[in-house]
Amino acid sequence: MKFLKFFYTFCFLLINIEAYAGPLISGISSNEINVDTEFKGAQILLFGAKNDAGDVVITVRGPRKNFIISKKENLLGVWFNGERIKFKNSYGFYSLFSTYNDGEMIQQDLNEYELGKNNIQFEIQDNLSPSKINEFRIQLVELLEQKNLYSVSTKPIDFLDETLFKLIIDFPKNILLGTYIIEVYLINNGSVLSFQSIPVYVNQIGISAKISNFALSQSVLYGLIAVFLAIFVGCLANYLFARFIKK
Amino acid sequence: MQIYLPIAEIPVNIFLILALGLLTGFLAGMFGIGGGFLATPFLIFIGVPSPVAVSTSTNQIIAASISGLLAHFKKGNVDIKMGLFLVIGGVIGSSIGVSIFSILKNAGQIDLVIAITYVLFLGSISLMMLSDSFRNFIDRKFGMDWHHHNEEAVKFQWLLKKIDNLPFKTYFSRSEVYISILVPITLSFGVGILVSLMGVGGGFLMIPAMLYILRMPSSLVVGTSLFQIVFIASNATFLQAVTGNNVDIVLGILMIISSAIGAQVGSRVAYKVDANATRTFLAVLLLLICFKMMFQLFSQPGNIYSLDILK
Repeated sequence: MKFLKFFYTFCFLLINIEAYAGPLISGISSNEINVDTEFKGAQILLFGAKNDAGDVVITVRGPRKNFIISKKENLLGVWFNGERIKFKNSYGFYSLFSTYNDGEMIQQDLNEYELGKNNIQFEIQDNLSPSKINEFRIQLVELLEQKNLYSVSTKPIDFLDETLFKLIIDFPKNILLGTYIIEVYLINNGSVLSFQSIPVYVNQIGISAKISNFALSQSVLYGLIAVFLAIFVGCLANYLFARFIKK
Repeated sequence: MQIYLPIAEIPVNIFLILALGLLTGFLAGMFGIGGGFLATPFLIFIGVPSPVAVSTSTNQIIAASISGLLAHFKKGNVDIKMGLFLVIGGVIGSSIGVSIFSILKNAGQIDLVIAITYVLFLGSISLMMLSDSFRNFIDRKFGMDWHHHNEEAVKFQWLLKKIDNLPFKTYFSRSEVYISILVPITLSFGVGILVSLMGVGGGFLMIPAMLYILRMPSSLVVGTSLFQIVFIASNATFLQAVTGNNVDIVLGILMIISSAIGAQVGSRVAYKVDANATRTFLAVLLLLICFKMMFQLFSQPGNIYSLDILK
């Protein structure tokens, strides 16, 4: 309901400002996602209008994180983590939408603007053979897809008429915290006519977030509290049982 | 009722955790062995990451040990001088243990090492307990005597002679033993490493060592062992929180409260049941946990590649 109301308002505004607008204009239903322990995922509605010929490409990219991919090996029947490769500074979320119908065309354009599955950048610190890196890189993307954090296949954009389009972006429940960037491109004959970038902030709220932040930022104090709380409860239990419950 | 554990980062049923705490506390109170041997594997089985399971179990051990220690203090059953030397070794050992722990964690091998140490210790402890129960059963049923205590004493003689020749000897008046301070320090150093790696109190090793190696009177052994465990577990918990962010205070509190209640009930029930039968039951339980952990080590993973997202 909220989406619809917002959407209609936006369409109304668009019609009025169309005269002044550039070749591409878009907006989203919310700039903020609050994650608490009950969080079941969120959807953000994106809509826009293009006033020029060309294809629309929309990417959603999440905060940069470090990842480790481990490959299990077997020794005397026991499975253990063998080779491990660390991928630094890689997107924690990736989603791609476009109006392209021609697969080859999109690949060309995407490569040029460093978009799409094959252009997701990963930093690797170790000196490893390209085939090894490729093997682990494919697994990284696949595992992130299984976690619903990546969706590298291009999904279509829903057009209401020649100019107006809308899109629902799904954020899964296991979403990582940080700043997400939604980028909207209008591409015609391989050149970008218009480009827009919209941030979305994913924040953690609630008591459990406070505890985990405190444990990380004030780890010495947190450790002391854990120890003294245990000592206190131990003494209290001893006192209570000695006082009220006889052997 | 679901509750979200902030450090373990999983939702759990609060009643399941309370039931686990009651059960481990009950068994610990009944048999006098630390609840860590039961609590850590149980937590791992319900999906708590093993570093968090080990460290939070260490946190719970502080509460369980201090509760027992106070009772022994009142009766004067603690050799404080011996306890302090044990603390020296234990604090060094547990500090090194936590460092080893964090190196293994960063190398992605901590789950493996925890599982292997548990399989080895649970396997040998439960088999020893089972054979003991079996001997007791045969003794009582057929009036046979296995003479195993004498044999063990003979095996230990050479070791005790060597220990008696060590330097830095001092007299522990409360225990009435004259022994090198290197002995308690070395013993608790080893136990300290194990406490940090496994999240157990280490009483199962410390108590026999105090009886047969330090040759302390049995009346002082439990109290003094609890005295040093409080310090070792506190040190390990603190360092686990600081170096690895592994201690889940929410999980810890739930386990501490429920296991304290369980322990009180367990220690009261212990007088009323057949010791041999309950010990056999515990041995079988430990053996089952050992098998379950072994199964996890040997079963083929669904995907040989796994992903870790770093903080």
